[in-house]
Amino acid sequence: MKSMNHMFDAHKNHTGTRPDGRKGDNGRNKGKKFWFSSLFTAGIALVLAAAMFLAGCAGSQSKERSGQADGGDKVIKIGMVGPLTGDYATYGQSVRDGVQTAIDEINAEGGVNGYTLQLIAEDSRGESTEAANAVQKLIDQDKVTAIVGAVLSGETATVAPIAQDAGVLLITPSSTAPGLTEVGDYIFRNVITDDVQARQLAEYAVSQLGCRKFAVLYANNDYGVALRDNFTSKVEEMGASVVAVESYLDGDEDFRAQLTKIGSDIDALYIAGYYTEAAKIAQQARRQGIAATLLGADGFYSEKLVELGGEAVEGSVFTAGFYSGDASEAVQTFVSNYKQKYSQEPDMFAANAYDTMKIIAQALAKAGNDRAALKDEMYSVKDYPGITGNTSFDANGEAVKDVVFLKVENGKFVRAD
Amino acid sequence: MISPYYYQLLVIASINVIMALSLNLVTGCAGQLALGHAAFMGIGAYTAGILTSVYHVPFAVALVAGAAVAALFGLIVGLPTLRLKGDYLAIATLGFGEIIRVAILNMGITGGPFGLRGISKHTNLTLAVAAAVLAYLTMKRLMNSRFGRALTAIREDEVAAVAMGIDATRHKVLAFVISAAWAGIAGGLFAHWFRYLHPSSFAFSASVEILSMVVLGGMESLEGPVLGAAALTYAPELLRGVSDFVSRHRMMFYGALLVIMMLVRPQGLIGSGVKGLSISKLGRIHGVVRLPQMERVTQWLTAAKQRKHLNDSSVSTDSRVVEERLAGLGMSSGTGSRGTGIGSGGGEEHAGS
Repeated sequence: MKSMNHMFDAHKNHTGTRPDGRKGDNGRNKGKKFWFSSLFTAGIALVLAAAMFLAGCAGSQSKERSGQADGGDKVIKIGMVGPLTGDYATYGQSVRDGVQTAIDEINAEGGVNGYTLQLIAEDSRGESTEAANAVQKLIDQDKVTAIVGAVLSGETATVAPIAQDAGVLLITPSSTAPGLTEVGDYIFRNVITDDVQARQLAEYAVSQLGCRKFAVLYANNDYGVALRDNFTSKVEEMGASVVAVESYLDGDEDFRAQLTKIGSDIDALYIAGYYTEAAKIAQQARRQGIAATLLGADGFYSEKLVELGGEAVEGSVFTAGFYSGDASEAVQTFVSNYKQKYSQEPDMFAANAYDTMKIIAQALAKAGNDRAALKDEMYSVKDYPGITGNTSFDANGEAVKDVVFLKVENGKFVRAD
Repeated sequence: MISPYYYQLLVIASINVIMALSLNLVTGCAGQLALGHAAFMGIGAYTAGILTSVYHVPFAVALVAGAAVAALFGLIVGLPTLRLKGDYLAIATLGFGEIIRVAILNMGITGGPFGLRGISKHTNLTLAVAAAVLAYLTMKRLMNSRFGRALTAIREDEVAAVAMGIDATRHKVLAFVISAAWAGIAGGLFAHWFRYLHPSSFAFSASVEILSMVVLGGMESLEGPVLGAAALTYAPELLRGVSDFVSRHRMMFYGALLVIMMLVRPQGLIGSGVKGLSISKLGRIHGVVRLPQMERVTQWLTAAKQRKHLNDSSVSTDSRVVEERLAGLGMSSGTGSRGTGIGSGGGEEHAGS
């Protein structure tokens, strides 16, 4: 490298057009600056090296601790990864708080076979690369037994091969894109998938609500596209028709162009997206004279839908995996524990995460603190009576769960069926 | 044996080093602010990923093909946009980046919003580091060649450079194409490490992150982007482990770290300290970004520089540059005091723009 520099230096002198003709004019000043610069760089390098070293120490320490954990401390570590900061932070925080609520309940009842559960939650900022780093850290540094996550489908698709290669149980409580669990036998999912809820809603809308002419307005992301495809195909299977399909992007504010194209001659408008956009779409649709019934998926399920949408979302019907107004004791215990700790209503992310953690704990009690045995045990979970309905896992690690239909009535969510 | 966690961080760091070095050729060397660099990475990643996973092309061929397609896009985008300057170039490249992202999102073969799955793992640490070293050596040779010095001349003063007989557009487009090709290689490595691609990995925020690496490390030198890429890859991970409070607010600390860095050392970790003051360049490049902090920094620096001019009886660096440039154009430079006025005035104008 040095010799090559030299070569080019000679070349430089030869051509004579050096851009840096200032050299030597105030060489002393530059010398000083250069000295400062290299000192500064050396300083930064030292700090980084020290940090790396310390992190390494911390890593080996935690290794020792987990070694002790098997014998003395009796702690089982559970990892969680998802967006705790950034645009999708509410989803990740709900998942974390749901898992924590479950762990608190389990530990209060004496833990699992005398082991205490400990949650280690890592932030992914909603970025796949960050999520991959977080999962590697949980597996290598923290030595977790199982991971609840990731939250967004893109994150889960990135981290699933990592968990599979390392042989660590990874179970997502919220990623609904199709095919995620096909990565391997360590990858599970405990949430109703987009295809299931879209198809069930289509069936319900045609047979129960008597709708014949549908329009679909979908968010152009994995969630929206999967809902669109399955809803449309089921509607057509049922003999009804989809007369218009339009798309929008997450974060859009103005949907008037799409709504004008859709027109008011429809029985129902299926909004395949999340509540923020759905509320705005509802308001703009009503203003344009579209009186059709609004249909949606679990992306509707948030108090914010009613808060932002007001009168416009009244009468909307959507699918969900969890209903916080359910009178059963298990649901009410969860809702009150969660509210007490985080002073807000739990959403479906929290509920699925809570059930997921309870299922892992149940499997842990039978399999012990062993990653492979835990994975095998998960496949034998049959009709676990959770707060999100009865849950079983099929051969792919996909949860088989019930879908509930919810309706907005007088600004409140009630069961539609 | 290195743990898989650090192994992965090193692979990502190497990929980021390639990205930062390639962007540095356009932004650092040629002084053209491009805000869509991640799009080239995306093109390379998807091209290579689709070739190996769908068409079962050997990895090496796919990697080169990814670079070639990215370079082709660099040419297509570069030809019209590099005739633009400053704000306009930044907006044009930003627009290009978004177009690519939305195009990938709406294509069938890319998997659209579901992402591209089923890519096999071919990238390893040796390969990533080798590619990074190769990128470094290439850039080193380029910078010290006639081509590199022509780019520097364009950055310093495009009018003067053209007057010297340098074909500015041709040089800038070539730099853009080379830069895009390397970004394509980085993309190919990225695809075959993570085995999954999603359009959001190549969005505007990714372009900005790469730009931060270059600016934080220090433009114009080659060690700067390398250090910047390594530091910004590792910093968010480092902040995870410190304490509960820090890891909860780590992105806040990360942001604060960047702001403080820019205040304390606006020329980057390894800046242009050797080459002399570069306030006018900073103003030119950061003024375009129009970050409020950046504007304040450049204003502050200009003011500091003017104070220095008043105190310093010797002729300033900038006025000398102006004199040299004028001399190069065969014009007389006028008096020393007038030269100083031109020099500092230039700095101010850039800072304000």
